[in-house]
Amino acid sequence: MMAFLQSGPVQTALLLSAAAGLLCGALGVFTVLRGQAFAGHALSDVSSAGGAGALLFGISPLLGFLLFGIAGVAGLELLQPRRAAGRDEAAGILLGAGLGVTALLLHFCLTGHGASGAAQAVMFGAMFSAPPGTALWASGLAGLCLLGLVLIARPLLLATLDAELALVAKLPVRALGFAFLALLALGVTLAAMTIGAILATALLIGPAASALRLAGSPLRAVLLSMGLGLAACWGGVVLAYVSYGWIPGRTWPVSFFIVALLFLFHEAARWGRRA
Amino acid sequence: MLFHRIGLALVFGLAGHLAMAQPVLHAVGLENQYADVLAQIGGPYVKVSAIQSDPNTDPHEFEATPRIAAQFRKADLVVENGLGYDSWAAQLLKGGHAKLLSAQALLKLPDSTPNPHLWYRTDTMPAVAAAAAAFFEAKDPAHKAQYQANLKAFDAALAPWKAEIAKVKARYAGAPVAVTEPVADDLLQEAGLKIMTPFSYELSVMNDTDPAPQDVAAEEALLRDNKVKLFAYNEQVTDPQTEALLALARQHQVQIVPVYELMPSSAKHYQDWMLQATTALDQALAAK
Repeated sequence: MMAFLQSGPVQTALLLSAAAGLLCGALGVFTVLRGQAFAGHALSDVSSAGGAGALLFGISPLLGFLLFGIAGVAGLELLQPRRAAGRDEAAGILLGAGLGVTALLLHFCLTGHGASGAAQAVMFGAMFSAPPGTALWASGLAGLCLLGLVLIARPLLLATLDAELALVAKLPVRALGFAFLALLALGVTLAAMTIGAILATALLIGPAASALRLAGSPLRAVLLSMGLGLAACWGGVVLAYVSYGWIPGRTWPVSFFIVALLFLFHEAARWGRRA
Repeated sequence: MLFHRIGLALVFGLAGHLAMAQPVLHAVGLENQYADVLAQIGGPYVKVSAIQSDPNTDPHEFEATPRIAAQFRKADLVVENGLGYDSWAAQLLKGGHAKLLSAQALLKLPDSTPNPHLWYRTDTMPAVAAAAAAFFEAKDPAHKAQYQANLKAFDAALAPWKAEIAKVKARYAGAPVAVTEPVADDLLQEAGLKIMTPFSYELSVMNDTDPAPQDVAAEEALLRDNKVKLFAYNEQVTDPQTEALLALARQHQVQIVPVYELMPSSAKHYQDWMLQATTALDQALAAK
Protein backbone atom coordinates (compact mmCIF):
# COMPACT_ATOMS: atom_id res chain seq x y z
CA MET A 1 0.00 0.00 0.00
CA MET A 2 2.81 2.42 0.90
CA ALA A 3 4.70 1.47 -2.23
CA PHE A 4 1.54 2.16 -4.24
CA LEU A 5 1.10 5.67 -2.85
CA GLN A 6 4.81 6.52 -2.97
CA SER A 7 5.20 5.57 -6.62
CA GLY A 8 5.67 8.63 -8.83
CA PRO A 9 3.71 7.25 -11.79
CA VAL A 10 0.85 6.22 -9.47
CA GLN A 11 0.66 9.70 -7.90
CA THR A 12 0.57 11.27 -11.35
CA ALA A 13 -2.11 8.85 -12.50
CA LEU A 14 -4.26 9.41 -9.41
CA LEU A 15 -4.11 13.19 -9.74
CA LEU A 16 -4.67 13.25 -13.50
CA SER A 17 -7.52 10.75 -13.45
CA ALA A 18 -9.20 12.49 -10.50
CA ALA A 19 -9.17 15.77 -12.41
CA ALA A 20 -10.62 14.10 -15.50
CA GLY A 21 -13.11 11.92 -13.61
CA LEU A 22 -14.57 14.72 -11.48
CA LEU A 23 -14.82 17.25 -14.31
CA CYS A 24 -16.22 14.80 -16.86
CA GLY A 25 -18.65 13.46 -14.27
CA ALA A 26 -20.09 16.95 -13.81
CA LEU A 27 -20.03 17.93 -17.48
CA GLY A 28 -21.42 14.57 -18.50
CA VAL A 29 -24.80 15.15 -16.83
CA PHE A 30 -25.35 18.31 -18.90
CA THR A 31 -23.99 16.57 -21.99
CA VAL A 32 -26.49 13.74 -21.67
CA LEU A 33 -29.38 16.09 -20.87
CA ARG A 34 -28.50 18.30 -23.85
CA GLY A 35 -28.05 15.31 -26.16
CA GLN A 36 -24.50 16.33 -27.06
CA ALA A 37 -22.71 13.02 -26.50
CA PHE A 38 -21.63 12.84 -30.11
CA ALA A 39 -20.31 16.41 -30.05
CA GLY A 40 -18.30 15.47 -26.94
CA HIS A 41 -16.86 12.46 -28.72
CA ALA A 42 -16.01 14.56 -31.76
CA LEU A 43 -14.17 17.07 -29.55
CA SER A 44 -12.07 14.36 -27.90
CA ASP A 45 -11.20 12.89 -31.29
CA VAL A 46 -10.16 16.32 -32.56
CA SER A 47 -8.05 16.85 -29.43
CA SER A 48 -6.20 13.60 -30.23
CA ALA A 49 -4.54 15.47 -33.12
CA GLY A 50 -3.09 17.80 -30.50
CA GLY A 51 -1.87 14.84 -28.46
CA ALA A 52 -0.11 13.41 -31.50
CA GLY A 53 1.28 16.85 -32.36
CA ALA A 54 2.63 17.23 -28.83
CA LEU A 55 4.51 13.93 -29.17
CA LEU A 56 5.81 14.97 -32.58
CA PHE A 57 7.03 18.43 -31.56
CA GLY A 58 8.00 17.54 -28.02
CA ILE A 59 5.66 20.01 -26.30
CA SER A 60 3.49 19.34 -23.25
CA PRO A 61 0.68 16.88 -24.06
CA LEU A 62 -1.75 19.03 -22.06
CA LEU A 63 -1.01 22.03 -24.28
CA GLY A 64 -1.34 19.96 -27.45
CA PHE A 65 -4.64 18.33 -26.51
CA LEU A 66 -6.00 21.69 -25.31
CA LEU A 67 -5.12 23.66 -28.42
CA PHE A 68 -6.91 21.19 -30.65
CA GLY A 69 -9.82 20.80 -28.24
CA ILE A 70 -10.39 24.56 -28.40
CA ALA A 71 -9.96 24.49 -32.18
CA GLY A 72 -12.63 21.78 -32.16
CA VAL A 73 -15.09 24.07 -30.34
CA ALA A 74 -14.41 26.80 -32.88
CA GLY A 75 -15.01 24.26 -35.63
CA LEU A 76 -18.30 23.09 -34.11
CA GLU A 77 -19.44 26.68 -33.70
CA LEU A 78 -18.60 27.50 -37.32
CA LEU A 79 -20.27 24.36 -38.66
CA GLN A 80 -23.22 24.69 -36.28
CA PRO A 81 -26.33 24.64 -38.40
CA ARG A 82 -29.57 26.37 -37.52
CA ARG A 83 -31.58 23.18 -37.30
CA ALA A 84 -30.90 20.68 -34.53
CA ALA A 85 -30.90 17.69 -36.89
CA GLY A 86 -27.70 18.99 -38.51
CA ARG A 87 -25.74 18.85 -35.25
CA ASP A 88 -24.68 15.22 -35.63
CA GLU A 89 -23.65 15.94 -39.18
CA ALA A 90 -21.41 18.82 -38.07
CA ALA A 91 -19.89 16.72 -35.28
CA GLY A 92 -19.29 13.84 -37.68
CA ILE A 93 -17.53 16.07 -40.21
CA LEU A 94 -15.36 17.57 -37.47
CA LEU A 95 -14.55 14.16 -35.99
CA GLY A 96 -13.39 12.87 -39.35
CA ALA A 97 -11.25 15.92 -40.04
CA GLY A 98 -9.65 15.73 -36.58
CA LEU A 99 -8.84 12.04 -36.79
CA GLY A 100 -7.42 12.58 -40.27
CA VAL A 101 -4.93 15.08 -38.88
CA THR A 102 -4.19 12.63 -36.04
CA ALA A 103 -3.43 9.92 -38.59
CA LEU A 104 -0.99 12.24 -40.36
CA LEU A 105 0.80 13.38 -37.19
CA LEU A 106 1.01 9.85 -35.74
CA HIS A 107 2.51 8.67 -39.01
CA PHE A 108 5.22 11.34 -38.71
CA CYS A 109 5.74 10.36 -35.06
CA LEU A 110 6.41 6.77 -36.10
CA THR A 111 8.55 7.43 -39.15
CA GLY A 112 10.58 10.35 -37.82
CA HIS A 113 10.76 10.06 -34.07
CA GLY A 114 10.52 6.39 -33.44
CA ALA A 115 7.69 6.48 -30.95
CA SER A 116 6.12 3.11 -31.64
CA GLY A 117 3.68 3.42 -28.75
CA ALA A 118 2.50 6.88 -29.84
CA ALA A 119 -0.77 5.71 -31.37
CA GLN A 120 -1.54 3.54 -28.36
CA ALA A 121 -0.77 6.39 -25.96
CA VAL A 122 -2.84 9.02 -27.78
CA MET A 123 -5.84 6.82 -28.59
CA PHE A 124 -5.98 4.62 -25.49
CA GLY A 125 -4.02 6.58 -22.90
CA ALA A 126 -0.68 6.14 -21.12
CA MET A 127 -1.32 7.53 -17.68
CA PHE A 128 1.71 6.12 -15.89
CA SER A 129 4.11 7.81 -18.29
CA ALA A 130 2.44 11.23 -18.13
CA PRO A 131 4.89 13.93 -17.03
CA PRO A 132 4.22 14.76 -13.33
CA GLY A 133 3.95 18.51 -14.02
CA THR A 134 1.13 17.85 -16.45
CA ALA A 135 -1.03 16.32 -13.73
CA LEU A 136 -0.69 19.47 -11.59
CA TRP A 137 -1.67 21.75 -14.47
CA ALA A 138 -4.51 19.40 -15.38
CA SER A 139 -5.97 19.45 -11.87
CA GLY A 140 -5.70 23.24 -11.71
CA LEU A 141 -7.51 23.49 -15.01
CA ALA A 142 -10.19 21.02 -13.90
CA GLY A 143 -10.76 23.13 -10.78
CA LEU A 144 -11.25 26.28 -12.86
CA CYS A 145 -13.62 24.47 -15.21
CA LEU A 146 -15.71 23.17 -12.33
CA LEU A 147 -15.89 26.71 -10.96
CA GLY A 148 -17.00 27.95 -14.37
CA LEU A 149 -19.64 25.23 -14.54
CA VAL A 150 -20.96 26.16 -11.08
CA LEU A 151 -21.32 29.77 -12.25
CA ILE A 152 -23.40 28.94 -15.33
CA ALA A 153 -25.08 25.80 -13.96
CA ARG A 154 -28.51 27.26 -13.11
CA PRO A 155 -29.18 29.20 -16.33
CA LEU A 156 -27.57 26.39 -18.35
CA LEU A 157 -29.90 23.86 -16.78
CA LEU A 158 -32.94 25.97 -17.59
CA ALA A 159 -31.73 26.52 -21.16
CA THR A 160 -31.14 22.79 -21.44
CA LEU A 161 -34.48 21.62 -20.06
CA ASP A 162 -36.69 24.34 -21.56
CA ALA A 163 -35.02 26.55 -24.15
CA GLU A 164 -38.21 28.50 -24.89
CA LEU A 165 -38.74 29.37 -21.25
CA ALA A 166 -35.08 30.39 -21.03
CA LEU A 167 -35.56 32.75 -24.01
CA VAL A 168 -38.64 34.23 -22.41
CA ALA A 169 -36.58 34.76 -19.23
CA LYS A 170 -34.09 36.64 -21.46
CA LEU A 171 -31.26 34.17 -20.86
CA PRO A 172 -28.44 34.24 -23.46
CA VAL A 173 -29.18 30.69 -24.62
CA ARG A 174 -26.71 30.65 -27.50
CA ALA A 175 -23.89 32.11 -25.41
CA LEU A 176 -24.61 29.58 -22.69
CA GLY A 177 -24.42 26.78 -25.24
CA PHE A 178 -21.08 28.06 -26.48
CA ALA A 179 -19.71 28.44 -22.94
CA PHE A 180 -20.75 24.88 -22.17
CA LEU A 181 -19.12 23.61 -25.36
CA ALA A 182 -15.87 25.34 -24.33
CA LEU A 183 -15.98 23.70 -20.90
CA LEU A 184 -16.80 20.40 -22.58
CA ALA A 185 -13.74 20.71 -24.79
CA LEU A 186 -11.52 21.18 -21.72
CA GLY A 187 -13.18 18.24 -19.98
CA VAL A 188 -12.80 15.78 -22.84
CA THR A 189 -9.26 17.03 -23.35
CA LEU A 190 -8.41 15.93 -19.81
CA ALA A 191 -10.26 12.66 -20.35
CA ALA A 192 -8.38 12.10 -23.61
CA MET A 193 -5.06 12.62 -21.84
CA THR A 194 -6.13 10.20 -19.14
CA ILE A 195 -7.74 7.24 -20.88
CA GLY A 196 -7.10 8.18 -24.50
CA ALA A 197 -9.02 10.11 -27.13
CA ILE A 198 -11.12 7.16 -28.27
CA LEU A 199 -12.13 6.14 -24.75
CA ALA A 200 -12.72 9.68 -23.43
CA THR A 201 -16.41 9.39 -24.31
CA ALA A 202 -16.75 6.58 -21.80
CA LEU A 203 -15.68 8.88 -18.97
CA LEU A 204 -17.97 11.66 -20.20
CA ILE A 205 -21.11 9.59 -20.73
CA GLY A 206 -20.71 6.56 -18.44
CA PRO A 207 -20.91 8.16 -14.96
CA ALA A 208 -23.57 10.66 -16.06
CA ALA A 209 -25.82 8.01 -17.62
CA SER A 210 -25.59 5.87 -14.48
CA ALA A 211 -26.19 8.83 -12.16
CA LEU A 212 -29.20 10.10 -14.12
CA ARG A 213 -30.81 6.70 -13.75
CA LEU A 214 -30.42 6.75 -9.97
CA ALA A 215 -30.58 10.38 -8.81
CA GLY A 216 -33.82 12.29 -8.39
CA SER A 217 -32.60 15.82 -9.06
CA PRO A 218 -30.03 17.31 -11.46
CA LEU A 219 -27.84 18.47 -8.57
CA ARG A 220 -27.80 15.01 -7.03
CA ALA A 221 -27.10 13.50 -10.44
CA VAL A 222 -24.10 15.80 -10.89
CA LEU A 223 -22.67 14.92 -7.47
CA LEU A 224 -23.26 11.18 -7.95
CA SER A 225 -21.81 11.31 -11.46
CA MET A 226 -18.65 13.01 -10.17
CA GLY A 227 -18.36 10.33 -7.47
CA LEU A 228 -18.77 7.52 -10.00
CA GLY A 229 -16.23 9.12 -12.34
CA LEU A 230 -13.69 9.40 -9.54
CA ALA A 231 -14.39 5.87 -8.30
CA ALA A 232 -13.94 4.36 -11.76
CA CYS A 233 -10.70 6.28 -12.34
CA TRP A 234 -9.08 5.50 -9.01
CA GLY A 235 -10.38 1.94 -9.08
CA GLY A 236 -8.82 1.56 -12.53
CA VAL A 237 -5.45 2.83 -11.31
CA VAL A 238 -5.51 0.45 -8.34
CA LEU A 239 -6.49 -2.54 -10.50
CA ALA A 240 -3.80 -1.76 -13.09
CA TYR A 241 -1.25 -1.60 -10.27
CA VAL A 242 -2.44 -4.89 -8.80
CA SER A 243 -2.45 -6.55 -12.24
CA TYR A 244 1.38 -6.47 -12.21
CA GLY A 245 1.57 -10.03 -10.93
CA TRP A 246 -1.22 -11.56 -13.00
CA ILE A 247 0.86 -12.31 -16.08
CA PRO A 248 4.59 -12.13 -15.29
CA GLY A 249 6.24 -9.12 -16.87
CA ARG A 250 2.99 -7.74 -18.27
CA THR A 251 0.64 -5.17 -16.76
CA TRP A 252 -2.90 -4.51 -17.86
CA PRO A 253 -3.63 -0.98 -19.12
CA VAL A 254 -5.38 1.47 -16.77
CA SER A 255 -7.80 2.54 -19.49
CA PHE A 256 -9.22 -0.96 -19.76
CA PHE A 257 -10.05 -1.12 -16.06
CA ILE A 258 -11.58 2.37 -15.96
CA VAL A 259 -13.86 1.63 -18.89
CA ALA A 260 -14.72 -1.80 -17.48
CA LEU A 261 -15.69 -0.26 -14.13
CA LEU A 262 -17.78 2.42 -15.86
CA PHE A 263 -19.63 -0.29 -17.74
CA LEU A 264 -20.22 -2.29 -14.55
CA PHE A 265 -21.49 0.83 -12.76
CA HIS A 266 -23.93 1.44 -15.57
CA GLU A 267 -25.24 -2.12 -15.55
CA ALA A 268 -25.56 -1.96 -11.75
CA ALA A 269 -27.46 1.32 -12.04
CA ARG A 270 -29.84 -0.19 -14.58
CA TRP A 271 -30.40 -3.20 -12.36
CA GLY A 272 -30.73 -1.04 -9.23
CA ARG A 273 -33.32 1.15 -10.93
CA ARG A 274 -35.43 -1.82 -11.92
CA ALA A 275 -35.25 -3.51 -8.52
CA MET B 1 58.92 5.48 -80.61
CA LEU B 2 59.94 3.24 -77.79
CA PHE B 3 59.16 5.96 -75.28
CA HIS B 4 55.90 6.52 -77.03
CA ARG B 5 55.04 2.86 -76.60
CA ILE B 6 56.01 2.89 -72.98
CA GLY B 7 53.91 6.00 -72.55
CA LEU B 8 50.94 4.34 -74.18
CA ALA B 9 51.42 1.20 -72.13
CA LEU B 10 51.56 3.34 -69.01
CA VAL B 11 48.39 5.15 -69.99
CA PHE B 12 46.58 1.94 -70.82
CA GLY B 13 48.01 0.21 -67.83
CA LEU B 14 46.86 2.97 -65.53
CA ALA B 15 43.49 3.08 -67.24
CA GLY B 16 43.19 -0.67 -66.84
CA HIS B 17 44.12 -0.39 -63.20
CA LEU B 18 41.60 2.36 -62.61
CA ALA B 19 38.94 0.31 -64.39
CA MET B 20 39.74 -2.59 -62.12
CA ALA B 21 39.30 -0.43 -59.03
CA GLN B 22 35.84 0.58 -60.18
CA PRO B 23 33.25 -1.18 -58.05
CA VAL B 24 31.84 -4.27 -59.71
CA LEU B 25 29.21 -5.10 -57.10
CA HIS B 26 26.62 -3.12 -55.15
CA ALA B 27 25.82 -3.89 -51.53
CA VAL B 28 23.42 -2.26 -49.09
CA GLY B 29 23.51 -2.37 -45.30
CA LEU B 30 20.13 -1.48 -43.85
CA GLU B 31 21.86 0.03 -40.81
CA ASN B 32 25.15 1.87 -41.15
CA GLN B 33 27.03 -0.55 -38.89
CA TYR B 34 26.31 -3.38 -41.36
CA ALA B 35 27.22 -1.10 -44.28
CA ASP B 36 30.56 -0.33 -42.60
CA VAL B 37 31.43 -4.02 -42.31
CA LEU B 38 30.39 -4.63 -45.95
CA ALA B 39 32.65 -1.79 -47.06
CA GLN B 40 35.58 -3.20 -45.12
CA ILE B 41 35.16 -6.61 -46.79
CA GLY B 42 34.34 -5.34 -50.28
CA GLY B 43 37.12 -2.75 -50.39
CA PRO B 44 37.23 -0.84 -53.68
CA TYR B 45 35.35 -3.53 -55.59
CA VAL B 46 32.01 -3.17 -53.86
CA LYS B 47 29.98 0.04 -53.77
CA VAL B 48 28.29 0.07 -50.39
CA SER B 49 25.47 2.28 -49.16
CA ALA B 50 23.58 2.45 -45.89
CA ILE B 51 19.85 3.06 -45.64
CA GLN B 52 19.81 4.23 -42.04
CA SER B 53 22.48 6.41 -40.55
CA ASP B 54 20.44 9.27 -39.11
CA PRO B 55 21.08 9.18 -35.37
CA ASN B 56 17.89 11.13 -34.62
CA THR B 57 15.49 8.42 -35.69
CA ASP B 58 14.61 5.10 -34.16
CA PRO B 59 15.44 2.30 -36.60
CA HIS B 60 12.69 0.19 -34.98
CA GLU B 61 10.15 2.46 -36.62
CA PHE B 62 11.67 3.03 -40.00
CA GLU B 63 9.42 2.98 -43.05
CA ALA B 64 10.48 2.48 -46.63
CA THR B 65 10.24 5.07 -49.40
CA PRO B 66 10.32 4.66 -53.20
CA ARG B 67 13.89 6.07 -53.22
CA ILE B 68 15.01 3.09 -51.16
CA ALA B 69 13.25 0.70 -53.54
CA ALA B 70 15.34 2.20 -56.36
CA GLN B 71 18.50 1.73 -54.27
CA PHE B 72 17.55 -1.92 -53.73
CA ARG B 73 17.08 -2.54 -57.47
CA LYS B 74 20.75 -1.79 -58.08
CA ALA B 75 21.96 -3.92 -55.18
CA ASP B 76 23.50 -7.39 -55.46
CA LEU B 77 23.57 -7.93 -51.71
CA VAL B 78 21.44 -6.51 -48.90
CA VAL B 79 22.27 -7.13 -45.25
CA GLU B 80 19.57 -6.80 -42.62
CA ASN B 81 19.61 -7.23 -38.86
CA GLY B 82 16.45 -9.35 -38.63
CA LEU B 83 14.28 -10.07 -35.55
CA GLY B 84 11.67 -7.61 -36.79
CA TYR B 85 14.10 -4.73 -36.41
CA ASP B 86 14.06 -3.95 -40.12
CA SER B 87 11.30 -6.19 -41.42
CA TRP B 88 10.18 -3.45 -43.84
CA ALA B 89 12.99 -4.46 -46.21
CA ALA B 90 11.91 -8.00 -47.12
CA GLN B 91 8.75 -6.77 -48.87
CA LEU B 92 10.72 -4.23 -50.95
CA LEU B 93 13.25 -6.85 -51.99
CA LYS B 94 10.64 -9.20 -53.43
CA GLY B 95 11.08 -9.60 -57.16
CA GLY B 96 14.52 -7.98 -57.16
CA HIS B 97 17.75 -9.84 -57.85
CA ALA B 98 19.53 -8.85 -54.61
CA LYS B 99 20.45 -11.57 -52.15
CA LEU B 100 19.27 -10.86 -48.61
CA LEU B 101 21.59 -11.76 -45.74
CA SER B 102 20.09 -11.61 -42.26
CA ALA B 103 22.27 -11.41 -39.17
CA GLN B 104 19.52 -13.21 -37.27
CA ALA B 105 19.56 -16.12 -39.75
CA LEU B 106 23.38 -16.27 -39.75
CA LEU B 107 23.35 -16.58 -35.95
CA LYS B 108 20.44 -19.08 -36.13
CA LEU B 109 18.41 -17.06 -33.62
CA PRO B 110 14.72 -17.91 -33.19
CA ASP B 111 12.12 -15.19 -33.93
CA SER B 112 11.26 -15.13 -30.23
CA THR B 113 14.69 -13.65 -29.34
CA PRO B 114 13.64 -10.64 -27.23
CA ASN B 115 16.63 -8.37 -27.87
CA PRO B 116 17.10 -7.43 -31.55
CA HIS B 117 20.22 -5.26 -31.12
CA LEU B 118 22.56 -7.92 -32.51
CA TRP B 119 25.56 -5.69 -33.29
CA TYR B 120 26.47 -5.52 -29.60
CA ARG B 121 27.30 -9.27 -29.76
CA THR B 122 30.85 -10.26 -30.62
CA ASP B 123 29.81 -13.14 -32.87
CA THR B 124 27.47 -11.15 -35.15
CA MET B 125 29.82 -9.18 -37.40
CA PRO B 126 32.35 -12.02 -37.95
CA ALA B 127 29.44 -14.14 -39.23
CA VAL B 128 28.14 -11.29 -41.41
CA ALA B 129 31.63 -10.53 -42.74
CA ALA B 130 32.30 -14.19 -43.60
CA ALA B 131 28.97 -14.56 -45.40
CA ALA B 132 29.50 -11.30 -47.29
CA ALA B 133 33.04 -12.34 -48.32
CA ALA B 134 31.74 -15.69 -49.57
CA PHE B 135 29.07 -13.89 -51.62
CA PHE B 136 31.55 -11.39 -53.10
CA GLU B 137 34.00 -14.19 -53.97
CA ALA B 138 31.29 -16.16 -55.77
CA LYS B 139 30.05 -13.12 -57.73
CA ASP B 140 33.46 -11.64 -58.45
CA PRO B 141 36.04 -14.47 -58.47
CA ALA B 142 38.68 -12.17 -60.00
CA HIS B 143 39.19 -10.48 -56.61
CA LYS B 144 38.83 -13.53 -54.43
CA ALA B 145 42.23 -13.08 -52.82
CA GLN B 146 41.45 -9.48 -51.85
CA TYR B 147 38.12 -10.39 -50.29
CA GLN B 148 39.76 -13.12 -48.28
CA ALA B 149 42.52 -10.78 -47.14
CA ASN B 150 39.93 -8.15 -46.17
CA LEU B 151 37.97 -10.70 -44.14
CA LYS B 152 41.13 -11.73 -42.32
CA ALA B 153 42.03 -8.11 -41.62
CA PHE B 154 38.51 -7.41 -40.33
CA ASP B 155 38.52 -10.37 -37.96
CA ALA B 156 41.94 -9.28 -36.70
CA ALA B 157 40.65 -5.72 -36.19
CA LEU B 158 38.02 -7.03 -33.77
CA ALA B 159 40.72 -8.41 -31.46
CA PRO B 160 41.30 -5.20 -29.43
CA TRP B 161 37.55 -5.00 -28.72
CA LYS B 162 37.38 -8.61 -27.55
CA ALA B 163 40.49 -8.05 -25.41
CA GLU B 164 38.83 -5.01 -23.83
CA ILE B 165 35.72 -7.08 -23.02
CA ALA B 166 37.92 -9.71 -21.38
CA LYS B 167 39.62 -6.96 -19.38
CA VAL B 168 36.30 -5.58 -18.11
CA LYS B 169 35.14 -9.08 -17.28
CA ALA B 170 38.34 -9.90 -15.36
CA ARG B 171 38.09 -6.70 -13.33
CA TYR B 172 34.38 -6.17 -12.80
CA ALA B 173 32.53 -9.47 -13.37
CA GLY B 174 29.23 -9.48 -11.48
CA ALA B 175 29.09 -5.69 -11.17
CA PRO B 176 25.42 -4.57 -11.15
CA VAL B 177 24.31 -2.15 -13.90
CA ALA B 178 21.05 -0.45 -14.94
CA VAL B 179 19.80 0.15 -18.48
CA THR B 180 16.80 1.73 -20.21
CA GLU B 181 16.36 -0.44 -23.29
CA PRO B 182 18.00 -3.77 -24.09
CA VAL B 183 20.28 -2.07 -26.67
CA ALA B 184 23.70 -3.07 -25.33
CA ASP B 185 22.53 -5.91 -23.09
CA ASP B 186 24.52 -8.52 -25.02
CA LEU B 187 27.75 -6.57 -24.59
CA LEU B 188 27.09 -5.93 -20.90
CA GLN B 189 26.41 -9.62 -20.33
CA GLU B 190 29.41 -10.72 -22.35
CA ALA B 191 31.53 -8.47 -20.11
CA GLY B 192 30.12 -10.32 -17.11
CA LEU B 193 28.05 -7.39 -15.83
CA LYS B 194 24.74 -8.00 -14.11
CA ILE B 195 21.71 -6.14 -15.51
CA MET B 196 19.48 -5.23 -12.57
CA THR B 197 16.73 -3.44 -14.54
CA PRO B 198 13.53 -5.53 -14.78
CA PHE B 199 13.34 -6.88 -18.32
CA SER B 200 9.66 -5.92 -18.52
CA TYR B 201 10.76 -2.31 -17.99
CA GLU B 202 13.30 -2.57 -20.82
CA LEU B 203 10.57 -3.90 -23.11
CA SER B 204 8.12 -1.13 -22.20
CA VAL B 205 10.75 1.53 -22.99
CA MET B 206 11.77 -0.17 -26.25
CA ASN B 207 8.13 -0.50 -27.36
CA ASP B 208 6.95 2.86 -25.94
CA THR B 209 4.20 1.28 -23.88
CA ASP B 210 3.02 2.50 -20.48
CA PRO B 211 5.47 1.05 -17.94
CA ALA B 212 4.30 -0.73 -14.79
CA PRO B 213 4.68 1.61 -11.78
CA GLN B 214 6.41 -1.25 -9.94
CA ASP B 215 9.05 -1.45 -12.68
CA VAL B 216 9.56 2.33 -12.61
CA ALA B 217 9.96 2.19 -8.83
CA ALA B 218 12.49 -0.65 -9.12
CA GLU B 219 14.48 1.20 -11.78
CA GLU B 220 14.48 4.46 -9.79
CA ALA B 221 15.56 2.62 -6.64
CA LEU B 222 18.56 1.15 -8.50
CA LEU B 223 19.83 4.67 -9.19
CA ARG B 224 18.68 6.40 -6.01
CA ASP B 225 20.07 3.79 -3.65
CA ASN B 226 23.31 3.43 -5.61
CA LYS B 227 22.67 -0.24 -6.23
CA VAL B 228 24.31 -0.10 -9.65
CA LYS B 229 27.77 0.85 -10.86
CA LEU B 230 26.64 2.38 -14.14
CA PHE B 231 23.57 3.40 -16.13
CA ALA B 232 23.55 2.61 -19.86
CA TYR B 233 20.85 4.52 -21.77
CA ASN B 234 19.84 4.67 -25.41
CA GLU B 235 21.26 7.98 -26.62
CA GLN B 236 19.20 7.84 -29.79
CA VAL B 237 15.72 7.53 -28.32
CA THR B 238 15.18 9.58 -25.21
CA ASP B 239 11.90 10.66 -23.69
CA PRO B 240 10.83 12.49 -20.50
CA GLN B 241 11.05 9.21 -18.58
CA THR B 242 14.66 8.65 -19.62
CA GLU B 243 15.49 12.30 -18.91
CA ALA B 244 14.15 11.87 -15.37
CA LEU B 245 16.27 8.75 -14.87
CA LEU B 246 19.34 10.53 -16.22
CA ALA B 247 18.78 13.38 -13.77
CA LEU B 248 18.43 10.86 -10.95
CA ALA B 249 21.64 9.10 -12.00
CA ARG B 250 23.54 12.41 -12.08
CA GLN B 251 22.16 13.42 -8.71
CA HIS B 252 23.37 10.18 -7.14
CA GLN B 253 26.69 10.13 -8.99
CA VAL B 254 25.90 6.97 -10.96
CA GLN B 255 28.19 6.75 -14.00
CA ILE B 256 26.29 7.25 -17.28
CA VAL B 257 27.19 5.46 -20.52
CA PRO B 258 25.33 6.18 -23.79
CA VAL B 259 24.62 3.31 -26.19
CA TYR B 260 23.36 3.53 -29.77
CA GLU B 261 21.00 2.00 -32.32
CA LEU B 262 23.17 3.11 -35.23
CA MET B 263 26.90 3.70 -35.56
CA PRO B 264 27.59 7.25 -34.31
CA SER B 265 29.63 9.57 -36.51
CA SER B 266 32.32 9.75 -33.81
CA ALA B 267 33.43 6.22 -34.77
CA LYS B 268 35.38 5.56 -37.96
CA HIS B 269 34.56 1.88 -38.17
CA TYR B 270 32.34 -0.65 -36.44
CA GLN B 271 35.27 -2.09 -34.47
CA ASP B 272 36.28 1.40 -33.24
CA TRP B 273 32.73 2.05 -32.10
CA MET B 274 32.56 -1.21 -30.14
CA LEU B 275 36.00 -0.65 -28.64
CA GLN B 276 34.95 2.88 -27.59
CA ALA B 277 31.76 1.51 -26.05
CA THR B 278 33.62 -1.13 -24.07
CA THR B 279 36.35 1.30 -22.98
CA ALA B 280 33.56 3.61 -21.78
CA LEU B 281 32.23 0.76 -19.62
CA ASP B 282 35.73 0.15 -18.26
CA GLN B 283 36.21 3.83 -17.41
CA ALA B 284 32.77 4.17 -15.84
CA LEU B 285 33.33 1.12 -13.66
CA ALA B 286 36.82 2.34 -12.69
CA ALA B 287 35.43 5.75 -11.71
CA LYS B 288 32.85 4.24 -9.40
